[in-house]
Amino acid sequence: MLVFQSVILGLLLGGLYALLAAGLTLYFGIMRVVMIAHSAFLILAAYLAWWTNDRLGIDPLLSLVVTVPLFFGAGVLLQRGLLSRLRPATLTMMSVLITFAIALMIEGLLGYAFSGTQRRIQLGYGTASFDLFGARVAVVKLIAFALAAVSLAALYTLMKRTQFGWALRATIQHRDAARLVGIDTERTAGYGFGLGLATAAVGGTALSLDTTIYPSLHWHWIGPLMAIIVVGGLGSVPGAAAAALLLGLAQSLLQIPMGATWAQTVFYVALFATLAVRPQGFFGGRLAQRF
Amino acid sequence: MRSPARRTTGALALCASLMLGLAACGGSDDGGGEGGDDPIVVGISLPLTGDFSEPGKGVQEGYEAWAKITNDKGGLLGGRKIELKILDDQSNADRVVADYEQLIGSDQVDLVVGPFSTRLVVPSARVAQEYGMLFVEPAGAAAEVFNQGFKNLFYAAPAVADDHYNHLAEYLLALPAGEKPKTVAYAAMDDPFAQGTAYGLKKKLEAGGVKTVVDEVYPPNTTDFGSIAAKIAAAKPDMVVGGSQYQDGVNLIVALQQLNYQPKLAAFSTAPTNPEFAKAIGNKTEGILSPTGYSQDAPYESNKEFVEKFKAQFGKAPEEDQANGYTTGQVVGAAVEAAGCAEQGDCQQKMIDWLHSNTVDTVVGPLKWDATGKPQGAHMIQQWVGNDIKIVLPADAKEADLVYPKPAW
Amino acid sequence: MPNASKSLLSYGLPALVLIVAIALFPSLAPNPYILSSGVIVLNWAVLATAWNFVGGFTGYISLGHGALAGLGGYATGLLITKADLPSFGALIVAAVLVAALAVPIGYAALRVRGASFVIVSIALVLILLLVFQSWSSVTGGSRGLVVPRPFPGMLRPDHHRAFFFLYGGLLLLALATWWLLDRSRFGMGLKAIREDEDKAESLGTPTFAYKLTVFVVSAAFTALAGGLYALWFGDLDPVFQFSVLTGSYIVLMALLGGVRNLYGPVLGAIVVGVALEYFKVEFGNSPLHLVTTGLLLGLVVMFMPDGVIPSLTALVKRLRNREDSSIREVTAADLAEQRREREAAKS
Repeated sequence: MLVFQSVILGLLLGGLYALLAAGLTLYFGIMRVVMIAHSAFLILAAYLAWWTNDRLGIDPLLSLVVTVPLFFGAGVLLQRGLLSRLRPATLTMMSVLITFAIALMIEGLLGYAFSGTQRRIQLGYGTASFDLFGARVAVVKLIAFALAAVSLAALYTLMKRTQFGWALRATIQHRDAARLVGIDTERTAGYGFGLGLATAAVGGTALSLDTTIYPSLHWHWIGPLMAIIVVGGLGSVPGAAAAALLLGLAQSLLQIPMGATWAQTVFYVALFATLAVRPQGFFGGRLAQRF
Repeated sequence: MRSPARRTTGALALCASLMLGLAACGGSDDGGGEGGDDPIVVGISLPLTGDFSEPGKGVQEGYEAWAKITNDKGGLLGGRKIELKILDDQSNADRVVADYEQLIGSDQVDLVVGPFSTRLVVPSARVAQEYGMLFVEPAGAAAEVFNQGFKNLFYAAPAVADDHYNHLAEYLLALPAGEKPKTVAYAAMDDPFAQGTAYGLKKKLEAGGVKTVVDEVYPPNTTDFGSIAAKIAAAKPDMVVGGSQYQDGVNLIVALQQLNYQPKLAAFSTAPTNPEFAKAIGNKTEGILSPTGYSQDAPYESNKEFVEKFKAQFGKAPEEDQANGYTTGQVVGAAVEAAGCAEQGDCQQKMIDWLHSNTVDTVVGPLKWDATGKPQGAHMIQQWVGNDIKIVLPADAKEADLVYPKPAW
Repeated sequence: MPNASKSLLSYGLPALVLIVAIALFPSLAPNPYILSSGVIVLNWAVLATAWNFVGGFTGYISLGHGALAGLGGYATGLLITKADLPSFGALIVAAVLVAALAVPIGYAALRVRGASFVIVSIALVLILLLVFQSWSSVTGGSRGLVVPRPFPGMLRPDHHRAFFFLYGGLLLLALATWWLLDRSRFGMGLKAIREDEDKAESLGTPTFAYKLTVFVVSAAFTALAGGLYALWFGDLDPVFQFSVLTGSYIVLMALLGGVRNLYGPVLGAIVVGVALEYFKVEFGNSPLHLVTTGLLLGLVVMFMPDGVIPSLTALVKRLRNREDSSIREVTAADLAEQRREREAAKS
């Protein structure tokens, strides 16, 4: 029974991981950039959702209307204004530092605006749950999962079925060749970044429904997310999604015998194991070995 | 010729002299006054942000109330006013040490009193000890505070963490065999105080034959309590005990309620006494127990004055954290008056010696300490009944009867 | 030997200034608080210099050095409390242990380049935080670890003075080691890795072994600094010992001062360290520290990736004599570096 309950919890968590890791791996695919600030934006979105609910008294889900376009714009700006201006020779290393610096700034500003106190949205349906074959499923967790699943599906459709998605995939696969066939790779890359950051907006709102947030929480997310994209193969969106579900499930199940904290180490063990055995990742992603 | 290294030489020299300059011009604050009408400066470091900011702010209000009430009556030592100097340590042990270092070494305060949370008390008590300062503290309740060999430390509250549930343990173990809870789940934050409360009860219940079915310890920054709650709910214990601070207790209760787990008894430390608690868990508070070292209705002489004036100053009634801060002030104030001085140096030892051999009357009752600074007493037990939290144990102080088994939450 | 005298001037003189400053500071400090700030600044200086063994020589940017310092601190504390070693014996043994542990860590981390290396370095901090929080039977968990005082009964001001000199000695030792490495054949190989790892490898430099060796040396010095901190401070808490912030301050200091120069990180540490302490006293603690740190780091990376001092030097030089400017894609600092290396090779 406990195992089944954990499987449910693990899948619900894995869905959120999958969405966020998809964004992170998108950046890497486009620019070979590891975006440390991804989870800081995630927490920022969660704070915006909390603020919407706490100060304006409306449902946190409505904050999506503002945060998704806002984050998309921020992503485009970030790529066009900062990352594309770095020297190509040191791009990978320096982009890590730049995004790291952004993460610190976001954490600091959040702390300044809302203090370091832990916050949690108080929802009328916060403790509601229903029975699923003997396991209890909390309504808020299910909403979060549904948000993640819908966004991930939308992202997938966008990448596979639209003109823009085709240009984006071409840019990821071979930038110079894409340029030769007439794709404006610069603009595509910018929009790709915006798309990645929009996943953080959705993820943050989903996260805020059922978790306590505080400014430095993003460090507890970036570690697992980085591990997921390495295991999934840097740059591969399906790989990231698969690794996310798998590791989310593993974490949830390992919590039974090991406890909450030890179970988190599964991400790092997977990271080190992947780097030692198969640096290019387990789910495709040809890019990793070169970086 | 013009190698970068040489430039650096210049810059380094400049910097080194800046550093020396900083050394020479820093810390020009004048030292604490010797007698006269100079204020008595009391240095405090408190967690106003970070993990412990909720209780930290409460303790701050307690200190402020003490300073105001004392000053309104003319201050200490026949006319010296109290001036508080409060720094924020961000719930951070590195910072708390630097803060007291600054307060004692640089700002030359006359007295220091303690920060909040056991984790921060030990490092700061060491700073105070190594500067030869008296250190009365409102929050270092765990056993390990008292086995560090501090001679300058006094805990200004009725009981240490392990003894908080003593009355509840006695009550439960005295129940007839059929009604006694048979199984208990414990979940405690890895924090000396929070864990101390839960494990103090665990030790006594286990000795009385009550089985432990879940025993979970989680780090202070845990936010996802889903799996811990799942484990507890799956084991279906009669009783659940949470060694909690504030937010973690709220999160754990919410997670348990999401799983629709209904224990016969639920006891959590600290969180349920917080004024925000009921709102935070959507008012599903029915029957939750909590130990407390303070009651607004306690019959002690100074308590009436405290509650009245506190309400006038802050527009709300004082809670346990506020009372702890106030008590700390009362203890220091008594020591100052008894020693007849308040400054760094030999005076500190006089106050320490006096406190070791005397009893101080406070808003939580008369306090006295053993050689390690440990107070001798136990906590009252409160329970949420209806929409209010009431004292249910011990019998001679109760405002309502303990409801067991508790109604569904 | 003009080279020798020049090298004496550019390395010897700042060393002399530094030694005099370290020797005089404790007696000039007006109160123990300033002295304790001095100890903190020196701690940063040692950490930044130790970081520069990896960052400056090989160009690999590690954000995880805070974890190595934390390991050094915990190892020292645990060796004293659990194995009953004397304080400074424990410090040395701890440094050796951390150096040994750096071999497998380096093996996993240095197999990959660029982004993955940084990921691994951050992951190192996060995983150690988890382990040290959870393994409470050994490490004390979130309750922290109390490290016994190395000089029992000593009053606080004297304690600060003793540790100020200990840190000063450690800093000079680290600088001397860096200087020796810089002039050796080994150092040349490392710098070749920084400029172009593939070319260096094809020219027969055993790049992996070189990287690993210098990582281990760096880890040892970092652990010594962390261990001294444990002895000085007395209380270890996983959250602060294994903080990503420590690593980022170190990187900021080293980049700000300039990673290619012996004294760059020391300079950066003094500037950033003093600023940190100053702002704390003047404005109290506020989360704006993070914003400032992030902003500075961003500015340095965007506009002065070689460090402020080299950038300013280059700027001044360009303004002063235009003929020095070059159409090649190298900065003036690079040219100066190459020239210095040529001279070093000749002598």
